[in-house]
Amino acid sequence: MFSLDLLLQAVVSGVLLGGVYGLVASGLSLIFGVLRIINFAHGAVMMLAMYATYWLFTLLHVDPYLSILVTGPAFFLLGMLIQRVVIEPNRFAAEHNQLLLTLGLALFLENLALVLWQGDFRTVRPAYANASFTLGEALVEVPRLVACGGAVVMALALFGFLRLTDVGKAIRALAEEPEGAMLMGIDVGRIRAVAFGIGAGCVAVAGALVTPFFYVAPDVGESFNIMAFVVVVLGGMGNFVGALLGGFIVGLAESLGATALPGSLKQLVVFALFVLVLLFRPAGLFGGGRGR
Amino acid sequence: MPRARVSRRVFLGTVGAAAALGALPGVGRAQGKEVRLGYILPVTGPLAFEAQLSLNGLQLAVDEINGVGGVKALGGAKLTLLPGDTQQKVELGNSEAARLIDQGVCALIGPFSSLVAYSVRQVTEKNKTPFMLLAAVADNLTEGGLRYVFRVQPNGKSMATLTMNNMFEMARAASAPVKRVAMMHEDGNFGTTMGNHVEAFAGKLGYALVQRIPYSLKSPDFTAELSKVKAAKPDLLVISGYYGDSKIIAETAAKLRIGVNALVGLANAAYSNPKFIADNRQLTDNLFDGNYWHNPQSPRARAVFAAYEKRFGSTLTSHGVQAYTVIYVLKDALERAASADRDKLRDALARTDLADHILPQDAIKFDDTGENVNATPALLQVQNGKAVVVGPARFAEAKPVFPVPKWHG
Repeated sequence: MFSLDLLLQAVVSGVLLGGVYGLVASGLSLIFGVLRIINFAHGAVMMLAMYATYWLFTLLHVDPYLSILVTGPAFFLLGMLIQRVVIEPNRFAAEHNQLLLTLGLALFLENLALVLWQGDFRTVRPAYANASFTLGEALVEVPRLVACGGAVVMALALFGFLRLTDVGKAIRALAEEPEGAMLMGIDVGRIRAVAFGIGAGCVAVAGALVTPFFYVAPDVGESFNIMAFVVVVLGGMGNFVGALLGGFIVGLAESLGATALPGSLKQLVVFALFVLVLLFRPAGLFGGGRGR
Repeated sequence: MPRARVSRRVFLGTVGAAAALGALPGVGRAQGKEVRLGYILPVTGPLAFEAQLSLNGLQLAVDEINGVGGVKALGGAKLTLLPGDTQQKVELGNSEAARLIDQGVCALIGPFSSLVAYSVRQVTEKNKTPFMLLAAVADNLTEGGLRYVFRVQPNGKSMATLTMNNMFEMARAASAPVKRVAMMHEDGNFGTTMGNHVEAFAGKLGYALVQRIPYSLKSPDFTAELSKVKAAKPDLLVISGYYGDSKIIAETAAKLRIGVNALVGLANAAYSNPKFIADNRQLTDNLFDGNYWHNPQSPRARAVFAAYEKRFGSTLTSHGVQAYTVIYVLKDALERAASADRDKLRDALARTDLADHILPQDAIKFDDTGENVNATPALLQVQNGKAVVVGPARFAEAKPVFPVPKWHG
């Protein structure tokens, strides 16, 4: 039972979800490129941003998309704070310790959310939450389309920022050649904080974009975090554009897998891809990046 | 919604006090004025909210009984609840169970997780302590010739097969027989058990399971899966899942105009949940769910609901109903045993024949394995923003809407 309609639907769903994966992964990739740490707390930060979106909507009736204007900068600052207080002091610790550090941070944030807001599932459903149209026979949900579009715009804006601005160039310099960057008079401490802040800001925007069609709960970040890791490896660790493209590949692999294979094998497709890339293209499909 | 919650500190304080009390043999034990019951629940951790709902039910029943003179056959002995926290972990389940047994509880109640229950039942069996299962649904918990395990609520098999039965009876009565069934379930122990039973039951009820789709709870999108379901043109879509996933499935099914006669939850964590219904009025109208429930025809159930609402400021849930019932089953057995001796209590429990209860079933009786022979889920449907019982017919409080026009659109 593999009709053309099902195929079209799978492609549409995969692309729409892939954009979001891409944005989440972009932040992760940037942090890795500059700080050389794998940030396990990335999903937890996304979860916090989703709660922020939820509370802004529930208490102050701020539209989830508009709330990005608040949560984006706020999480940029929060990211810088986290980097300054938690990550920076351990910069010279062994790599596995830094890994454990971010994992610990993730557990801390998730349990903090559990204490503050309980395990309840909360949802944000603005008027347009159920808007949809059909493309041929395929269903296109407007909030998912907006999320994908927003993610791509955000990722491209960031790409431009990294290419064109001084701070962006400094970030790339630091990713490329840390010592050289320092010798050139770049305030590397500040740039590391900025990079982490941008990563947190990216994932906060992604969080706000998915909230209208998803739910908010303390462990919600995991849904996206695991996929984001796959995407980062797929696109090449630290390769920014690769992360965005990788997002689309993983999204497509997932939904095509769900259509073509029985049951929960769709996850298998994604992780098989992950293993294959690690085996044959360890630097990622688009080349290992140093802030490309 | 105000909620009485046990904070971690208060909880630890209580445990500490209880432990201190346990360390002083003779205090409060020798006088025969107290019967100790222990609970092991995931009071802290991700299931803390659900555990609290059960705890409220236990406390309500205990206080009711103590308020009208305790266990009469034991000279008016008062029931005392001793706390244990499993945090949903096997090793904690075992150690907390052993600790409570050391402190002289005559029965244990808990522990939510089937995995924890599977392990704790070794501890209770070894110590000859009655173990009243709460919320643990796995079929195999009563297997293996154990003598001390009892389960009041339906196990996985009864839940699945009786819900399908209820659905079929209703569909026949509505002259819209069901021939094709699709099932989506989360791919953990709970969902897989339900899926297996629905698949195995197909021959008996004479339906074809045209799609069976296990899915990962963490999946953020079910459009591809539901498109497959739609293409298989089933009459029913049965869904066993937790809260978030079930919600996204229902939303996506609506957008896809899935074209079934009904969406049916099977022990679904969302579809008959009052909060879910309140949050999703548009979506939930006419959703079905086979689930643990109370008997809406019972005046006593109404009184219990009122008492619960008054005390805890929220609506009694099925977790609370099960917990409340377990205390009364124990109380009934204690009266008949006229002893808090664990073995005598176990024998009395095995002979239980309790007709005065608030469940949608006949008398509570246990078979040789400790399963309640008359245990049955209720078939619920959301109507006007409230989950009402539409089956089995003798407990129904409303007529079912079937086929549901919206899902057929």
